[in-house]
Amino acid sequence: MTVLAQAPVPRDIGFLAWLLDPDSWTGTDGILASLADTVALCAIVVVVATITMVPLASWLAHTRRGEVSVSWLVTLSRAIPTFAVAGLLVPLSLRSGWGFEPWPIFIALLLLALPPIFLNTYTAIQQVDPGAVDAARAMGYREIDVMFRVELALATSVILAGVRVAAVTVVATEPIRAFLGGDGLGRYVRDGLGQNNDGLVIAGAILIAGLAGLTALSFRLVERFALPDGVRRLATTTTR
Amino acid sequence: MKTPMLKKLLLLAMALAVVATACGDGDDDSASAVDGPTIRLRGQDFSEAVTIAEVYGQYLQAKGYDVEILTPAGFRTEAIDGLRNDELDLIVDYIGGSLTALEPDAATSSDADEVVAVIGPAYEEIGATLLDYSPAVDGDAFVVRGDSPASAISDVAELGYVFGASAQCFERPQCFLGYTDPAIYGITFADTVTIEFGPLLGEALAAGEVDAVVWNTTAPQITEQGFKVLEDDQGLHPAQNIAPIISTNVLDAYGDQLRSDLNELSALITTADLLAWNTETDIAKRESDDVAAEWLEAKGLN
Repeated sequence: MTVLAQAPVPRDIGFLAWLLDPDSWTGTDGILASLADTVALCAIVVVVATITMVPLASWLAHTRRGEVSVSWLVTLSRAIPTFAVAGLLVPLSLRSGWGFEPWPIFIALLLLALPPIFLNTYTAIQQVDPGAVDAARAMGYREIDVMFRVELALATSVILAGVRVAAVTVVATEPIRAFLGGDGLGRYVRDGLGQNNDGLVIAGAILIAGLAGLTALSFRLVERFALPDGVRRLATTTTR
Repeated sequence: MKTPMLKKLLLLAMALAVVATACGDGDDDSASAVDGPTIRLRGQDFSEAVTIAEVYGQYLQAKGYDVEILTPAGFRTEAIDGLRNDELDLIVDYIGGSLTALEPDAATSSDADEVVAVIGPAYEEIGATLLDYSPAVDGDAFVVRGDSPASAISDVAELGYVFGASAQCFERPQCFLGYTDPAIYGITFADTVTIEFGPLLGEALAAGEVDAVVWNTTAPQITEQGFKVLEDDQGLHPAQNIAPIISTNVLDAYGDQLRSDLNELSALITTADLLAWNTETDIAKRESDDVAAEWLEAKGLN
C-alpha cells in the first residue's frame, strides 16, 4: 500500500462548501471512512461496557451488596479525565509494542462508559417495587427468575437510558483519538487546528455533534420499542 | 542581662538593614534605567520559545529597559496578531515560520538572507521591525532511528518507510508535500500517521510505529534516544534562524540603543545554546526563567 500526497484542503474553503463536496466524503481520508472508524470503536466500547456492567450491577443490586463502596467507586471514576488517561497510556502502549491504537483510547473510553451504565442499572434494580419482587417470590419464582423476569424487566427503560448516556458521551469524546496518533471523525478538527483552517474545524465539529445527536436519537427509538409489553402497559396506565 | 543583648541584636539588625538598602540602591544606580515605553514581550507556548522569551526579556531588564514578560500563550499566529493589534511589542520567531505565516505563497529558501528579504517588508506592513537574525537555528529535522541505512533524505525514497508528523506538515510544501513531490524528493511512504508535535514523535519512532518523523533540530530527545537527523540534500527545509521582531513605535521611542542591544544578544545565541536550554527544560524539567537567568549569568549579561 502506498500513500500518495493528498491535496491539502484549501484554507479559505467554507465549512459548508467542504461538507457538500462529494470528494470530502470518499477515499481513505474521507468522512465515510472516518465515520466508520469512529462508529466501530464506539460500538465496541459501549457493548463491552454494557455486557460487563449490566450483569454485575444487577447482581450487586439484587443481593444488596456493596451499596456504599460501589457508589463511591463509580463517583470517583466519573472524575477521571479521559484525555489525560489516554494521553498517559499512549507512551506506555508504545513502549510495550502495542502501538498507538486501539488500547489507550479503548481503555479511556471504556472508563467513561462504565459509570452511567453501572449506576443506572444499580439504581433501577434497587428501586424496583419490593411489592412486585415479594409477589413474584410468593408465586414461587426462583431467584434467577426474580432477577430476570421481574427486576430486569421493570428496570429496562432506566438501564437503556444509562446505555444511551454512555453511548452519547463516548461518541462525543472519541474524537480525542485523533490527537493521540489515531484517526476517526476527530481528524478534521485536528487537521483544521494544525493547518489553521477554520472551515475544517467547524465542519469537523458539526460532524461530531451530528453523530452524537444521531446516537441519542436512535437510542430513544430503541428505548421506545425495546420495552417489555407489560412495562409499557404499566407506564401507560400509570400516566393515565 | 537579656535586655542589653536584645538591644545589641536590634542595633546589628538595623545596621545590616541600612547596609542592605545602600547596596540595593547601588544596584539600581549601576543598571542605568532607560526612559521609554514598557516593552511587552510574550513567548510562544512551547518550552524553547518560552526560554528564548525569558532570555530576551531578562537581558533587556538587566539593561534597564522597562520590560513586561507576559505568560506564554499561543503560537506564531497569536504572536504576530499580538504585534499587529498592539498587545505585544516584542516577539521572537523563527524566520522560516514567519515566512509561511506572513507570505504563504512566497517561495521558501534555505538561505536566511533570502527569507529575511521577504519577511522584513511584510513585518513593516504591520508596524513592526525585523531585527538581525541570530546564528541560532531551530529548523525542521527529518529524523530516523539510529540503525537506519539512510544518511540523507533522498536515501529514504525506496525504503518504504512509515512517516509520522504533525497535521501542519501534511499540508506544507516544505514538508510532506515536498518529500513526496517527484520533482523534489519523490519519496513513497508505506503509510502516514498524524502525531501531535512533541515528545510523542520520539516515542512513536522508538516504538517502531513509524520509521521517520519530522521534528525540530533542537529537540533534545534526538540525541537522547539515539536517533539521527538526515541531511536535507535537496535544500527543502527553509532557514529557521531565530530573530526578534519589535514594534516600530517602541523601537523609535528608544532609538538605536535598543536596536544594537537586541542585535548584540541575538548574535551571541547559538544553536547549541537552544539545544542546551531544551535539555534543561524538557529532560531535566527545570523552569525556563532559571535556565535563561543562568545562561545570561554565564555570558555576563545580567
